[in-house]
Amino acid sequence: MISAENLTKQFNVRGVPLVAVNNLSFRVSNGEVYGLLGPNGAGKTTTLRMIMGLLEPDSGYVEIGGVRSTHKSTDIRGQLGLISTNDGVYPWLSVREMLMYFADLYAVDQSLARERLEELANLLDLGGFIDQRCSTLSTGQKQRVTLARGLMHDPPVMLLDEPTRGLDVVGSQAIFRFIDLLKLRGKVVLLSTHRLDEAERVCDRFGLLHRGSLQFEGTLCELQQATGKKHLVDMFIAFINASENSHPVAIPSNEQSTEA
Amino acid sequence: MNKYLSNGRLWRLCQKELRESLRDRRTLFTLVLMPILVYPLLSMALQRLVIGSVTKTKADPVFVIGAESEDTANQLQGMLAEARLAMDRGFVSPITITRTAEPKSSEAAKSTPDPDGSNQPGLDQLPKFDVFISDQETLSKALRDGRLDLVITRMNIEQVQLERGTVPVYEILAEFRQNDSRSEAALSVFRLATQMINDFQAEMIRKGVDRKLPVAMTFNATGIAEREDLSASIAGVIPLVLILMTITGAVYPAIDLTAGERERGTMEALIATPAPRFALLFSKYVAVVTVAVLTALANLFATWMTLSFGGLGQALLGKNGFSVWVFVQILPLLVIFASFFSAILLALCSFARSFKEAQAYLIPVMLLSLGPGLVTLMPNVQFTSLLGIVPLVNILLLSRDIMTGQSSMVPAFAAVFSTIIYACATLVVAARLFGAEAATSGSQESWWELFSRPKKSQMLPDAGELAIYLAVLFPMFFVASNLGGMIELKGSWALFFNAAILFLLFLLMPLTYSWYRRIDIPTTFRLGQGTGVGEPLWIRVGRWVGYVIGVVLLSAGLWMVAFEAYLLLESWSLAAQLTEADKQKLKADFLAVPFLVVFLTGALAPAIAEEFFFRGFVLSAFRSKLSAYRSVLFSSLLFGLFHVIAGSVLSIEKLLPTIILGLAIGYVAIQTGSLWPGILLHTLHNGLIFGMSRFTEQDLAKWFGDDTKHIPISWLCGGGLAIAFGIALVFVSSQRKRFHEDVI
Ligand SMILES: Nc1ncnc2c1ncn2[C@@H]1O[C@H](COP(=O)(O)OP(=O)(O)OP(=O)(O)O)[C@@H](O)[C@H]1O
Ligand SMILES: [Mg+2]
Repeated sequence: MISAENLTKQFNVRGVPLVAVNNLSFRVSNGEVYGLLGPNGAGKTTTLRMIMGLLEPDSGYVEIGGVRSTHKSTDIRGQLGLISTNDGVYPWLSVREMLMYFADLYAVDQSLARERLEELANLLDLGGFIDQRCSTLSTGQKQRVTLARGLMHDPPVMLLDEPTRGLDVVGSQAIFRFIDLLKLRGKVVLLSTHRLDEAERVCDRFGLLHRGSLQFEGTLCELQQATGKKHLVDMFIAFINASENSHPVAIPSNEQSTEA
Repeated sequence: MNKYLSNGRLWRLCQKELRESLRDRRTLFTLVLMPILVYPLLSMALQRLVIGSVTKTKADPVFVIGAESEDTANQLQGMLAEARLAMDRGFVSPITITRTAEPKSSEAAKSTPDPDGSNQPGLDQLPKFDVFISDQETLSKALRDGRLDLVITRMNIEQVQLERGTVPVYEILAEFRQNDSRSEAALSVFRLATQMINDFQAEMIRKGVDRKLPVAMTFNATGIAEREDLSASIAGVIPLVLILMTITGAVYPAIDLTAGERERGTMEALIATPAPRFALLFSKYVAVVTVAVLTALANLFATWMTLSFGGLGQALLGKNGFSVWVFVQILPLLVIFASFFSAILLALCSFARSFKEAQAYLIPVMLLSLGPGLVTLMPNVQFTSLLGIVPLVNILLLSRDIMTGQSSMVPAFAAVFSTIIYACATLVVAARLFGAEAATSGSQESWWELFSRPKKSQMLPDAGELAIYLAVLFPMFFVASNLGGMIELKGSWALFFNAAILFLLFLLMPLTYSWYRRIDIPTTFRLGQGTGVGEPLWIRVGRWVGYVIGVVLLSAGLWMVAFEAYLLLESWSLAAQLTEADKQKLKADFLAVPFLVVFLTGALAPAIAEEFFFRGFVLSAFRSKLSAYRSVLFSSLLFGLFHVIAGSVLSIEKLLPTIILGLAIGYVAIQTGSLWPGILLHTLHNGLIFGMSRFTEQDLAKWFGDDTKHIPISWLCGGGLAIAFGIALVFVSSQRKRFHEDVI
């Protein structure tokens, strides 16, 4: 189980303060998929980075399995896996070499790592290109390698940052299957995305993030009741319009979004 | 952390980085192609330089001779006219001019007429000589600058007693530029002209023709070794090229493995792992150094080939050329340099957010390092001890001196030792910068944060802090210990000066630094009473009585061990090279200083200052990462190395005794948890050594017997026993509850 308590993070962009995450609290229990939803710049990635310990929150804290994590604490990192679409691969290493390298970084035993590699290769269908240099892989193949990388140490908590970006329908399907599997294994899954249709399919619970603060939280049912709308997309537009009538935020469509 | 250092894991991390660099075509390009491309070019350029300085000779057949007075000038002209006359009369000229430049020394000038000089055409005419008159100083300078080809320093007529009576003989002394073909050609022509006149005169006398001129001439010339420096500066080009190539080899992997991680988007995943940053950076460092060393090897090999074939080596580096021995000496230097510069590159690149940014940081650094590189190319730059601590310059000058076969010990040691320290410190900085801004560009961590006053206090300094501190301390210490010699203080004042420096560098500076970094001073410097805080008074008093007696016993034995250890390497010492008279004088000077002064400045002051630093700061810093045994060992090694550098000489003979003393005091400090017993031990030890050295040989003979050099066996046995009892006593007294155990 992980819980975030009153996380706040403020950046200074050329002297102008910008609150990226504002007093954010939520909990995700084992075997649950939590969808952190929000438009571009809502603070999703920043939140995940704070959970990961890559950024130090200005205030608030994160607990993982009841242990409070602090910035720079390395031992807790072994329990987390972070997968983000921004992640790259090592062009000059083969897929196998790269995965084994990460196993070493997580201090996984060599023999155990080899077993996991086999298992993940089956699961994510890496077999065809496992000894190929990463530079030659396609986007979807790279994405799957990245997923495998995040699982080499079999962490109880998975943080997924827009895992389907840049993938076709088939590719996305594979990711959903993968998330289901994680759920089945009782992992904590925290999924950040702005593709609401996908979120509707895989997430058990949602948190709607806007301008760094949580606007709504609950299951799909609860949200439907609260807003009187059937689909997430409609709810989203409704509550964003409600929170700032002056200049509505463009809601990303189901097409690919461009990120700054 | 240790699970990253075991099971070959660190090695596998290094392998990954190496694989990445070596598979990259761009790395291979600099590694292989550059030497292949550059060296033919270099060899051509050097060839031109060497030939260029030779071919000037033929262009201008008028030689210029310098003379001091009108008289000499007239005599010279008369003499040369005589030689011309002889030639006009059909006297066979012995003069030949060597067309190629082989002369290396004045040897060439002595060349007698070539017996089978058929292929060397004789002169049908004597080359013209212009005479230039000025004072001695101007002449010498003009000769050095190459404006004159020969300077006549003396020309007088001596009456020489021969069988037939006295005859006047011209005695001519001249100076020429050694290794300069033009000057040597002038010399050779002039010498042969004198010979010809002698022959001509002899012929005339035989024929009964009376001549007014003196009958014979003696001619002697001394070379001034100006040209050699030019070749030394050409020799300086080679290390510069080698080092630039080594840098070039390291640059690409350094950028790729650090800024490249960000560029590829792998940095965040890397930093998110629990692997310690230092291990990550260290593996990258190993890869960069490896590639740099491979590049250095490739280039060194190419240079070697270039210089060995085609005879360039001899022309540039003297008669041995680029020998295997030079190769063997230069290689480790390049490795040390590569480790230093790779650390710098990594530190800079870790700071950069992208490939381009890294390149932008590196360009000024490369240009900056060219500056000192060019300094070493200037002729007459001596590799002094002080230059030994200037990064980059030291390695360049040392390689130059090794190549020309004239390296000296002190600067060499300073160069190697300081470069290693700088490399360690830079690596620590790099490790802290690496990934510091991995996730965000707006994070506040920066260079400044490394050196600013931290908000939180810490118990002990960490090992990285020690490395950075040493990188600052060592050059200061080195300069300070040279300073003592430079300002020529006498007797007691010199001793007080040294003591003051010790206090400043080893006591005040570490204390100030610790205060600034909010390091807990009583813990770090072991200022408390150590073991057994809060026990009843009588137990504590008992302990301390035990410590004091134990330490006294230890010192009673240790000075003998130190003395014998000193003798092992005594032949290396400065004293071994002194004459007996010098030794007597030194001893007299030493005895003239009151013992109280010697004790204060040579025993008490060093004991306090050095204990604060080595058993306080250094030991604690090591202790923050290592076991007690290793900490004591490493701090003692450092203690020993610092004693090797004393003033402007290397005291290698001090290494062993100081390490032994360091181990003993380190043991006492760890065991008692307090600095004070160590200070007492150190004071007594130094005091005893100085005390013993005040006795004369005769005094010593009374106790030591005939062999006044060594301590008698019976004494040594007693000393050994004292040490054993001392150790045991300190051990026993420090037993039972140990409070600081978990901290220190
Ligand atoms: N290092 C940084 N420095 C300054 N501002 C930052 C930094 N990182 C994020 N921000 C700002 O914080 C806000 C939240 O960014 P974040 O990346 O968390 O958004 P997001 O929800 O992940 O958006 P997207 O869906 O586009 O990925 C943005 O306005 C962004 O500009
Ligand atoms: Mg994002």
